[in-house]
Amino acid sequence: MNLLALKNKNLQEVNALLGTKDRDILVERFCALGLPSKKSEEYRYFDVEKLLEPEYKTLNYVPKTPKTSDKVEIVDGVVVAIPKGMRVYNEACQMIDMDHFDPLYYLGHLLSPQTIKIELDGDVEVEIEHKFTQSDALINYRIVLYNQANRHATVYENFISDDIENTLVLYGYDMHLAQDSTLRVVKMQSMQDAGYGMVASHKVNVAKNANAILKSFDLGGDQALQLLKVELAEHAHVDDGHLLYLNEDSKRGTVSQIVHVGEHSTSKQEAKNILDGKSRGIFDALIRVEHSAKYTKAEQNSKAILLHEDAYMAAKPQLEIYIDELEASHGATTGQLDRKQLFYLQSRGISYTEARKMLVIAFANTLIEEVKDTRHQERIKTAFEKVFYKNHKD
Amino acid sequence: MSNSILKIENLQAKIGDKQILKGLNLELEPGKVHAIMGPNGAGKSTLSKALVGHYDVELTGGDIIYKGKNINEMEPEERALEGIFLSFQHPVEIPGVNNAYFLRTALNAKRKHEGKEALNAAEFLRLMRDHLEMLGMKSDMISRSLNEGFSGGEKKRNEILQMLILEPEVIILDEIDSGLDIDALRAVSEGINKMKDGKRSFLVITHYSRILDYIEPDYIHVLKDGKVIKTAGPELVAQLEEHGYDAIEEE
Repeated sequence: MNLLALKNKNLQEVNALLGTKDRDILVERFCALGLPSKKSEEYRYFDVEKLLEPEYKTLNYVPKTPKTSDKVEIVDGVVVAIPKGMRVYNEACQMIDMDHFDPLYYLGHLLSPQTIKIELDGDVEVEIEHKFTQSDALINYRIVLYNQANRHATVYENFISDDIENTLVLYGYDMHLAQDSTLRVVKMQSMQDAGYGMVASHKVNVAKNANAILKSFDLGGDQALQLLKVELAEHAHVDDGHLLYLNEDSKRGTVSQIVHVGEHSTSKQEAKNILDGKSRGIFDALIRVEHSAKYTKAEQNSKAILLHEDAYMAAKPQLEIYIDELEASHGATTGQLDRKQLFYLQSRGISYTEARKMLVIAFANTLIEEVKDTRHQERIKTAFEKVFYKNHKD
Repeated sequence: MSNSILKIENLQAKIGDKQILKGLNLELEPGKVHAIMGPNGAGKSTLSKALVGHYDVELTGGDIIYKGKNINEMEPEERALEGIFLSFQHPVEIPGVNNAYFLRTALNAKRKHEGKEALNAAEFLRLMRDHLEMLGMKSDMISRSLNEGFSGGEKKRNEILQMLILEPEVIILDEIDSGLDIDALRAVSEGINKMKDGKRSFLVITHYSRILDYIEPDYIHVLKDGKVIKTAGPELVAQLEEHGYDAIEEE
């Protein structure tokens, strides 16, 4: 399949190319937004055309009877294992956002009419492992995460790949947090010559009094972008944190829209970016406060440390506000490691490399320590060190 | 002083475009306490920075000889591993770096350099707790971020804690008494005196003679305009108190 063939096509042509029918509303949205390119605002800092360009083989997503495991295992878009008693099944998505900013959100839905639905019933903690095994493939799937009312669940997401190359993964979540529920999602994606690029396009609905805690830890190299839209109802809250630690010529990051719809909704968005080599970090984030969202509180902040003179941070925090009754702040800083701090550590016999590592981890620590489970915290720190030592040796 | 542990010969150094040290000579004897006194701007802090390889200081001439070896080009961490320690006048705060983790990393780097086994977390904590008590420091200092939110006194005590744990051979104390109340001064002095073993050398840089009531110096050196202009015994302190630095003539 050649995704570039979808460029500048009308409804009939897209339907013909994708073989879709009875999904004209989605196709219309896709056509209206257009296949992303360098000129698309949301993909301005990410080389999406490079990922869309190759001819990919398509896969058959034949559901399997999953075996029992301690985690949800998804291999090339197919669920192969689930924890005992957990309800995971395929069904058409019932809650597609018709006002998402990302065209690939719609393309993902068009390519994956059957989504993987995971019901989080009870105060559970679940790990989802995504595995990719196919080279030169377009792997597309979407997941619906449904958190029941009054439930408090945690999802840990992890990504692994076989020795593959030139694969594109288009995936994403449609999450629904029912009233008075809490959903904590911790994503850890360490890529280093992983053999795949990724565009992950998410939508998160946070109902009244619900609480979404979304933390992403994106480490290493390669090309990946997450596009996130969050909608907050009355008294809903989102705590959104992104840690980016990139090396080589990686381009990764987050493009987001947090939309305050209900009164007294609150959002906190924090991005910490550590960029080495010739990498590019992306934090292009908009908080929109609608007319209906009086007494909103919103704060947004991006901090970046450049470890190399060729590294580059594209930070674009934005507020779009339609009311007066609110508290909102945003900001972005980019700098280098503090020389005084570095010298202080060295003056105690700690090597330059180790001192840098300590400062880099210290910078990242406020986000890492928000991961409550120490096992996952250690996993992130270990992956972090692995990426660090790849580029820094005494 | 032929058996000096540290010998500074005709040292010239500048910070930015400004020449601060202008041919400074000084020798530290093993086991002795040397106090450097001098007016503001004399070059006291520049000297301490030069000795530990601070990035601000550019050496433009002269030699720093430590244990018979020229260390002019040595990296700061190598100097520390070889046993040179500076207690900073204004220790920097490092949020996110745990105090105990930092100090264990430093200690184990030194032990590795000396060919010794690394201390594990439990062994290290025992060592740290003993010293904390002696310095009158709270046990939560172990888990706090390095110097973050510490009062002036806590920062200075933390410097002394590091000195006690790292057991250096040449100890430079830059204005260790500034900002300390009497209790903190006593605790800090006690820590310093504990390190006196007849082998270690101390270079106490100070404006005031107060600290010298607690740490008895063997030699007083007067630093003025980038040079040591006079060296004498502790009796010089009284003379300086009475007549000030202006009355001191270059020897």
